[in-house]
Amino acid sequence: MEPVLDMQLDWMDQQGSWGAAAEPSKQGLTLADIQVGAYGDVPEESDNMTGRPRGAGARPESYRIGGYSVRSKHEIWLENASFLYEEALQRQWSSATDVPWDSIEPLPDDIEQAECQLATFLTEVEFVAGDVPARWISQTTPDYFEPRNVLLAQVMDEARHMDVFRKRALANGGGLMGATGGTAGVVGSIDLARDFTEMSSRLHISGEGAVLTIFRMGELMAYNEAEKAMYRLCAQDEARHVAFGVMHMRYMSETAPERREEIDCYLDEAERQILAGSQNPAGAQAESSESLAILLGGGKDQYDEGVNKLIAIRRRQLQEYQKRVRSAGFGERFDNGRSPIKEMLAASAA
Amino acid sequence: MVKTAAKTDSKTKSKKTTARDTVASAAEVPKPGYHWMNRSNQWDTRVKPGKHGLRLGDLNVGIYGEIPEQWQDQTRNPRGAIPRKGVPPLGYSIRDKADVWADSAADLYEEAIQRKWAPATDVPWGTVKPLSEPLERAICQVLTELCQYANCDVETISQWQHQMSYGYHEVKQYLATASFDAARMHEAFRKRALCNGGGLGLEGPGEVNRMILESRGGWSEAVTYLMLMRGTFTMTLLRYLEKFAYNDAEQSIYANALQAKARQMTYALEHLQYSIAHDEERKAIMATLLFIGDRIWEREMADHVLREALCIVFAGGLEKAPDQGYAIYQKMQRDFMRDYVGTCEWLGIKRDPAMLPEAMADYLEAS
Ligand SMILES: [Fe+2]
Ligand SMILES: [Fe+2]
Repeated sequence: MEPVLDMQLDWMDQQGSWGAAAEPSKQGLTLADIQVGAYGDVPEESDNMTGRPRGAGARPESYRIGGYSVRSKHEIWLENASFLYEEALQRQWSSATDVPWDSIEPLPDDIEQAECQLATFLTEVEFVAGDVPARWISQTTPDYFEPRNVLLAQVMDEARHMDVFRKRALANGGGLMGATGGTAGVVGSIDLARDFTEMSSRLHISGEGAVLTIFRMGELMAYNEAEKAMYRLCAQDEARHVAFGVMHMRYMSETAPERREEIDCYLDEAERQILAGSQNPAGAQAESSESLAILLGGGKDQYDEGVNKLIAIRRRQLQEYQKRVRSAGFGERFDNGRSPIKEMLAASAA
Repeated sequence: MVKTAAKTDSKTKSKKTTARDTVASAAEVPKPGYHWMNRSNQWDTRVKPGKHGLRLGDLNVGIYGEIPEQWQDQTRNPRGAIPRKGVPPLGYSIRDKADVWADSAADLYEEAIQRKWAPATDVPWGTVKPLSEPLERAICQVLTELCQYANCDVETISQWQHQMSYGYHEVKQYLATASFDAARMHEAFRKRALCNGGGLGLEGPGEVNRMILESRGGWSEAVTYLMLMRGTFTMTLLRYLEKFAYNDAEQSIYANALQAKARQMTYALEHLQYSIAHDEERKAIMATLLFIGDRIWEREMADHVLREALCIVFAGGLEKAPDQGYAIYQKMQRDFMRDYVGTCEWLGIKRDPAMLPEAMADYLEAS
């Protein structure tokens, strides 16, 4: 005689709200489409310490295993997380097969060295944007899973960036060169920030923003189709990462205006570092700026021409940075003289 | 008002003074020194793409493929590059190869990337049709608990990633795909629960999640609980759910989740095997962890909620759930125990049935 289970079925009365019938939109069934009824309610403060999915029925006896430090919506939220996440999924690419490695031909030694130095630098710094968001993901309540999922997609993207530049360094008769220490355990670094918005302003807005401008101008420094593809694909990803930072900062400034002054201080710091710091390849650090100038000019003997293009890139970095910060709701700083960006632009135009 | 304005003014002024260097930096490019040139540990490297493109593992040539047993560097110095002196450390805590490594990590990374998956568009959502309420409730309950499993994957993996040193980048890269897989599972399970007139269920008991999240002593210990125990069970569960899927959408979700989980199991088993091979004591530690873990596992499995929900799913409704559904449920548990204990033994960790909790021992005996 087979055993028969005595069913209690009491749990059927303890489930989350019933009757959710999300429908796919033009882009399929997206995260935005499943914001239906109670499932679209995102609490301002999350008391979910058990890791239950948002909207599920709670068990009063559950352990408080979450240990989350990010439990206020304004600390991590942004309005378009669903869009950025779905976009990230649609635009996954492979550095093994989507980059036409066969298009690489031997290059003059100075160019190959510059390329390899830049690739070494990028291999080195790319995964700061993987390591750091990962740590914050583990500290964020699943009630805010939408931004968390965008960050998880970013960690994935950065793994691919780290690997595409390593591939480039080892693909054309060169090799890795000297590391720069572009990310380090010093105060005010992306790694050590103890507040999410502080970290995001530094990582997404100033750091990745500067890199995005360079990737977007990748055509100027690419010597083959592989390099063009590499920069183009990375730029696509970086644009989403930067957008996360901008949209989050905007949300923060609108919902927690008491933190505006503090955020302005992070931006002060970012602006002092944007060219002087070591995370901007077009900045002051010799390894990356000299190699960029060689790549942009077309060789060591055309270094000065390269420098002119490098300064043009810097200008564009500053302009784009300004645009992003304005879009995040902190444009005032450019008009009231607080930010040196305008003067930097004027100086570089002279 | 006047006071505030004055304050802002003085603040702005002091900012301006310190900003002089910053402003000048925009236009300045020092004369090149080229000190970085001709500095490479190994030049003349020319890795060619193979049949499957240029893969991460292909790069492991010459010194670039030398993976040391210990990685003392606490910066982001890429493996094979010349380190820079004087860089303040980032504080990586996992610096031994035996604590993270699996030879297959690079291949698993590339494989994960090749298997692109976007639940929004790759799941045929249109095939989900109304089901009886008890069945929909049961499916939603199972999906809710699966969401929590995926959440536990996310939180565990992302808590460890940043602690792993750069020298073992292949593992960090594979794990980036693993947590991304977990994000998509979390997403796909939730989407299915919310698209057919149902909703989320009751949260799971969370005992096993606690055990996994609290295994913070070492990554290998976390792998033991997250992947060897929970992972084996999730694989078994997904296989059954795929078989008892009610539409193509569910079928495709479970099939994709299975693929991702299979990669995770490959990494886990290879890593644990590697870890044990390099440190025999690991085996004893794992045996202790599993002995404790089994008791927690049994308690969680004694929870009637998931069991009843699965019986309903396997029986296609309430009516045959207590007998037919339960028979399938028990078969699933037997399969799990067979795979779980089989894997432990494969790793060289003997599991004495007399030492197993009773319910687990019974399932094992009947398997
Ligand atoms: Fe990146
Ligand atoms: Fe990025």
